[in-house]
Amino acid sequence: MAGISSRSWQEDAWLSVNTVKGSQRSEVNNRNVIARSVSDEAISKDEIPRSARNDNGKIKLSRIRRLVLLAIVILFSLQFLRIKVLAGGLTGSVAVLFVRLMDVFAYFESLIASGDFTINALIAVLPIIGIYLIFGRAFCGWVCPMDFLYELVDKIKVRSQKSEVRSQEQRTRSNVSPKIGYVIAGILLVTSGLLNVPFFTNYFSHLTNFFRLITSGVYLALDLPVEPTVMLFSGTVIFSLLLLEYFFPRLWCRALCPVGKTYSLFNKISLLKLKFMEGECSECNLCEQVCYMDVKITPHLNQPGLRDINCIYCGRCVEGCETKGKIIKMKLSILSFRAKRGISS
Amino acid sequence: MKFTRRDFLKASILTGATVIVGNGLPLLENLADAAKEEFMGPLPDIDVGGLIRPPGALPENKFRSKCISCGVCVNVCHVMKYDAIAVVGLKDIKNFGTPYIKDMRDFPCALCMECPKHCPTGALQKVEKEKVTMGMALIDFGLCFGWNGDVCLSCSKACPMGAKIFDFYNGEWGNQPYINENCVGCGLCAKYCPLGGSAIKVVTRGQYEKIRSSYVNEFKRLLSLSNEERYNVVYGRNIQQIMARGRLVEREYR
Repeated sequence: MAGISSRSWQEDAWLSVNTVKGSQRSEVNNRNVIARSVSDEAISKDEIPRSARNDNGKIKLSRIRRLVLLAIVILFSLQFLRIKVLAGGLTGSVAVLFVRLMDVFAYFESLIASGDFTINALIAVLPIIGIYLIFGRAFCGWVCPMDFLYELVDKIKVRSQKSEVRSQEQRTRSNVSPKIGYVIAGILLVTSGLLNVPFFTNYFSHLTNFFRLITSGVYLALDLPVEPTVMLFSGTVIFSLLLLEYFFPRLWCRALCPVGKTYSLFNKISLLKLKFMEGECSECNLCEQVCYMDVKITPHLNQPGLRDINCIYCGRCVEGCETKGKIIKMKLSILSFRAKRGISS
Repeated sequence: MKFTRRDFLKASILTGATVIVGNGLPLLENLADAAKEEFMGPLPDIDVGGLIRPPGALPENKFRSKCISCGVCVNVCHVMKYDAIAVVGLKDIKNFGTPYIKDMRDFPCALCMECPKHCPTGALQKVEKEKVTMGMALIDFGLCFGWNGDVCLSCSKACPMGAKIFDFYNGEWGNQPYINENCVGCGLCAKYCPLGGSAIKVVTRGQYEKIRSSYVNEFKRLLSLSNEERYNVVYGRNIQQIMARGRLVEREYR
C-alpha cells in the first residue's frame, strides 16, 4: 500500500462508502478498495460491496441504520390506517395511546413561549431525554428523516456532477462554524418568548413539516378535512431544506439545525461513544473524509474514545476505516470509569 | 435493453406522478362541484370569527403559546375514526399549524376525549365531557323545522348531552328547540340536522358573547309573536328557504 498516495485513497473511499456505484468506473474502484483492504483473496470478482454484510459477515451498520429509520417511518405510517401504534410526528407523539413523547427543543420552546411549567409536558419530554442520555446525538443519524433525504440529494448531486470528488471536497469544507447553531437556537428561543409562539417548531421545523406534509397529503387523498395551504407550506419548507443541502452539503445538520444542537448537548454525557482500539492505523484519513459532520477523529486515535459534540453516530467512520471497524468502534459504555477518564472532550 | 437502476427510478417516479395526478384531478373536480352546490350556512349574518379548538383547550393565548403543531391531536382523532380535527392553514398566519375543528357539518367532534389525554404539551387539558367549552351551537330559527310548524327532534337526539342542553318550547308552531348555554359545541347536532346545509351553526364562545343579546332577543321575539304574525313569518319567508334547501339534502348528507 505504500505506493498509493493518500489522495487516491480518499477518492476510492469516497466512492466505496458513499455508494456511488452508477458508473462502471466507480465499480472498478470499489473492487480495488475491497481487494486491497482484505488480506486474503477470498473475494471473487462478482462480489461488489453492495451486499448487506461486511467482510466479517455482520450486517453493515449503514444498513441497520436505514432499517431503523424505515421501521420508525412505518410505525408512524400505521396511524393513517387507523392502527393505534404511534400517533403524531417526531416533534410530539403518543405511543400505543399511552406514552406521550415530545422533542426536547420543542419542549423548551413551548416552555419559554408559554412561561408556564407543567408536569404534563415534563412527563412527555422525560422519556426522550432518557433515550438520548443513552444514545447521545444518535437521533440525527438514526431517526431524523432528513438524514435519509439528504443522502438521496447527495446521490443525485454526485450523478449530475462531472467529478465525484468535487462533491466530497465541498462536503467537508466547513466555512461555517458549528457553534453558530447554538446562537441560532438561542435566538429562536428568545423569539418564541417574545412572540409567545413556539416559533421554530411551529413554523419551520423540518420534523414538524415532514410529518405535516405526509398527514395533509394523506388527508387530501382521503377527502378528510384539511387545509391545502398547510401542505403547500410544509412542502415548500422541506423542498428549500433539500435545496440548501444541494448547494451547501450538510450545512443544516452541521451548523444550523437547533434540534440537532439540542441533542448534541447529550453527547458529552451519553453512554454511546466512539471507541478507538489498539491497532495499526495507516493514517489514511478515510474516517474524517467520510464524516458528514466534520468530526476530527485522527488527533484522538491514541485515546481510548471520543465524545465529539458534532458526532451523530452514523457509523460512517467505522465502515469507512480501511481496517473495516477494527480500530474505530461505536460502544455503549456502561459505567466504565476507567475508560471515561481518558476520553477527550 | 438493460434495465438499470436509473431506469427503474425514472419509471417509478413517472408511475408515482401519474397516480398522484390521476387521483388529484377527480379530487379537484369534486372540490369544484362542492363549491357550486354549497349552501350559504345557517345564520349567514353571523361571522364565525375565531377557531373552534379541540375539547379541553386552554384559553386562546395560552393555547397558542403551548401548541407546537406536532399533530398528535389530529392523528389521534384520525385513529379514533372521527377525523374532526384539521390544521389551520396560511389564511390565519398567527395560528398556522394549530388544530381546530374545521367542518362541523361533516366531521363533528364526537367528544371521545382522547386528544386532551394525549396532548404532549398540555395545550389541551383533560376535562370532563360536560365541562367542555369548545363553542356554542346556534339554531337558525328561520330554517329549523321545529320552529316552522314541524316536529323534528334530530338535533336533540344527536346531542351527547341531551336534556341538559335542549329546552323545548312546544306550541302550535312546532316543538321549537332551543340550545341553552350548557352547550359544549361539539357540533353533532349540526351534522345530524336533516336540513340541507344544516340549520345549526357552531360558533366560538367569544363570538357567542358578542352576538348573545341579538340572538336571545330574536328567540324571545319569535315566542311572543301573535299567531297571525307568526304565520306571516313562517309561510311568508321561511318555508320557501327550507324547501329550496330540501332539494339538495342528499348531496349534503352522503
